[in-house]
Amino acid sequence: MNRLSIFLVSMLASLTALADWEVNMPRGVTPTANAAYDLHMLIFYITVVIGIVVFGVMFYSIFHHRKSKGAKPASFHESTTVEIIWTVIPFVILVGMAIPATKTLIMMEDTRNSEITLKVTGYQWMWKYDYVEDDVSFFSKLASDSNEARQLGSKKDVNKVDNYLLNVDNEVVLPTDTKVRILLTASDVIHAWWVPEITGKKDAIPGYINELWVDIKKPGVYRGQCTELCGKDHGFMPIVVRAVPKQEYTKWVSLNQKNRVADKSK
Amino acid sequence: MTGVKSTLIKLSLVVVAMYGFSYALVPIYDKFCEITGLNGKTNQVAYIGNDIQKDNRFVTIKFISNVANSAPLDFEPSVTEMTVQVGKPYNTHYVMKNNSSKQLHTTASPSVTPGKHAEYFKKVECFCFEQQTINAGEVKDLGIQFIIDNELPNNSGDIVLSYTMFDITDNIKETNKL
Amino acid sequence: MSANIDHLKEEHHQPSGLMRWITTTNHKDIGSLYLWFSLLMFFVGGLMALVIRAELFQPGLQFVVPGFFNQMTTMHALIMIFGAVMPAFVGLANWQLPMMIGAPDMALPRLNNWSFWILPFAFTMLLSTLFFESGGPAAGWTLYPPLSLQGGNSMPFVIFSLHLLGASSILGAINVIATILNMRAPGMTLMKMPIFVWTWLITAFLLIASMPVLAGAITMLLTDRFYGTSFFTAAGGGDPVLFQHIFWFFGHPEVYILILPAFGIVSTIIPAFSRKKLFGYDSMVYATASIALLSFIVWAHHMFTVGMPLAGEIFFMFTTMLIAVPTGVKVFNWVATMWKGSMTFETPMLFALAFIILFTIGGFSGLMLAITPADFQYHDTYFVVAHFHYVLVPGAVFAIIAAVYYWLPKWTGKMYNETLGKVHFWMTTIFVNITFFPMHFVGLAGMPRRIPDYAVQFTDFNMIASVGAFGFGLSQLLFVYILFLTLRQPVTAEDKAWDGAEGLEWTLPSPAPYHSFDTPPKVE
Repeated sequence: MNRLSIFLVSMLASLTALADWEVNMPRGVTPTANAAYDLHMLIFYITVVIGIVVFGVMFYSIFHHRKSKGAKPASFHESTTVEIIWTVIPFVILVGMAIPATKTLIMMEDTRNSEITLKVTGYQWMWKYDYVEDDVSFFSKLASDSNEARQLGSKKDVNKVDNYLLNVDNEVVLPTDTKVRILLTASDVIHAWWVPEITGKKDAIPGYINELWVDIKKPGVYRGQCTELCGKDHGFMPIVVRAVPKQEYTKWVSLNQKNRVADKSK
Repeated sequence: MTGVKSTLIKLSLVVVAMYGFSYALVPIYDKFCEITGLNGKTNQVAYIGNDIQKDNRFVTIKFISNVANSAPLDFEPSVTEMTVQVGKPYNTHYVMKNNSSKQLHTTASPSVTPGKHAEYFKKVECFCFEQQTINAGEVKDLGIQFIIDNELPNNSGDIVLSYTMFDITDNIKETNKL
Repeated sequence: MSANIDHLKEEHHQPSGLMRWITTTNHKDIGSLYLWFSLLMFFVGGLMALVIRAELFQPGLQFVVPGFFNQMTTMHALIMIFGAVMPAFVGLANWQLPMMIGAPDMALPRLNNWSFWILPFAFTMLLSTLFFESGGPAAGWTLYPPLSLQGGNSMPFVIFSLHLLGASSILGAINVIATILNMRAPGMTLMKMPIFVWTWLITAFLLIASMPVLAGAITMLLTDRFYGTSFFTAAGGGDPVLFQHIFWFFGHPEVYILILPAFGIVSTIIPAFSRKKLFGYDSMVYATASIALLSFIVWAHHMFTVGMPLAGEIFFMFTTMLIAVPTGVKVFNWVATMWKGSMTFETPMLFALAFIILFTIGGFSGLMLAITPADFQYHDTYFVVAHFHYVLVPGAVFAIIAAVYYWLPKWTGKMYNETLGKVHFWMTTIFVNITFFPMHFVGLAGMPRRIPDYAVQFTDFNMIASVGAFGFGLSQLLFVYILFLTLRQPVTAEDKAWDGAEGLEWTLPSPAPYHSFDTPPKVE
């Protein structure tokens, strides 16, 4: 009862309290994130239905076909017809899943007709951003208050740090309603760039270039993390993307062009 | 127990074969990518040929550079973008500066995206075919000459050519020691 | 656990005490060695899991530095996979296969002894790296370069011990195949073999085909680091992604190696306690073989985010989805075995039933992961961690535990305490779900893998998972207590300890004699 009241109060107090109990993927603010979410939910519902059917049959059997209820064992132990049925039906269901999945994948891999290009380079343990056409370039690392609080034995209360572990010194600024092509590479080891509300992730591999595209439909601040083990501070190199209307982006570019912000310090 | 012995011999051969197979995967990987055109690797030796016809299509090429492992190098393309006619040869160059106080040996590794278009990006000359030696403080121009093959599918979109420059001075020293 | 050999000591001048265990070529002794070793490694790996879960109980770093945390995640996986699950299955194979096919022992008894004794040596070496100044391996059990090439002095020792572990598995697999193909009792055709024998036969072929590939991959890592090759560095014309292809070409069959014997165990226990023959025996054999074959063409689903060409992504998505079909067939066959049976719910059956339900849940998350565009969001998050722990813990580990409860009367002649067994079952099952189910949620909500600290919105589910993990660990102490209690019982088990049990082993006395089937039985 206590738990319920606390929950209700915190719900009323601030809707963000629910973020603590978040159980699902965000639907996101780009066509690719939306598509991933929709596919995820579709497959999830299908597996729920299959689960209900299969476990339903199992539980029925567990309750009714028990020796203590006097059940006598039947003697059937094979049936080619049945084997064929329960091979073909799942196969058909899978084909049904594969069609939207393939369409979505093709859509996600089409980076043509992008308006701006952002090159992302992973370092141990920070990111470097280069806006290719707009000539802006900077490093981005974990915000210093997070960095202080996360040290072993820091005695700092992490709950009091603003966006603990998801804040950086220099944010990525991108325009909304613009197809942005993101190029990925790394300087040392494999990293991966991931901002869930904006895009699925892709690896940043030293010596090689990967790409993905985003088209952010809603202005806002979106946070993500490195998602490929890259050494001791893999958990401490987050990503913050601030999506702003095109005019604001243009202003930001002109303020930051050729402005090489603080070089990384080891 | 000859059945056991025969099984033992056959299985041991399979084990050895599978170990060899893992090494064979190295060239298989390359050949597979070459044949199917997958992977994004460009030609590693100079393209020699004059059978590419010019056509009416134009493609935008973007040039990107990277320096690996925070080596003391500046390495940038002289132009970041060129719109080129398919089938016509073009020249461009990258600029590299050695910011350290000693001579360095370097090598560049190219990568193209989208990977499926790598096979149409034919390099006639490329600084990536050889290693470089660059003295302390020196600035070098590193040229490439390329042609876009007219086998390129229509509606291809931009092609990004990226080079990563590696400082391999230590590796060279090690090899020379052996 | 060790069959009575006092009379043999006088007849054959068998060594006793420590020398007996070091020199034994008896499949029952070696089976026991593997099983006890696996239990010990399970607790070692489990302790590492508790270090991980203790640190992840709350955001902020309380106990360990990130570098050590990465050593824990790396070692936890290596120990559990190569030290707990695989040796346990080999131990079960050793104990059961000869008896099930009516053979006196394994085909190559001395090789059998070596295969075991490699393990304690290799694991001592592996674990010792944790005490090096530069620490143990910390690049994940998957050892991706270039990160793994940055490793300290532990690297050659890790690679050497992996080579030894691989060799042990390969030798064991050769032994299994040689035994099954050559030493079956007359009349036991392949399609009359117990299903557990089939699953181990197929597993052994997977081992032979895949473990050498791991050996190649880790040798390439070694030469890249120390001998100037550049398989995996772009500077030398290599590719870090090549390692991933080679590793996962081994790695995917490996995960089927970790589950196929479990399928065999469940396919043995469900019929026994339903008092009904396994439904679709032939189908089960073909399904297992299909899974094994398909396992060689799905590997890149572990690498969907690596930047593969679209054609590759589509191919591997399709083949991975396809492997759900034979797996589903197996689940349906188990349910059909239960259907209209006459079930009782002793501890082995409870674990087998929990396996079916919880492994299937792991299968569902696996199907979700197979969908490439969705995987771009799941990859390298706790959603993957949830998936593989569901298929490995209430999957492989439950099957091993079920097998121990099931065959313990045959091995020892003693019955375990059924009430305590049920308590162990319920505690284990409840805590396993408390530990791993919330991981689906935090993974979907955006928590990456292999991080020692996390953003505060992930706190609540992480706390729950950590509590579950400690509960799960404590529950396994109960299992050890049950085992020791059992060993102190008098010998009371019948030959056919379970009234629905079938198979040649149940025609032998309990405990099974040190040497059994010196003359092969006749099989109709």
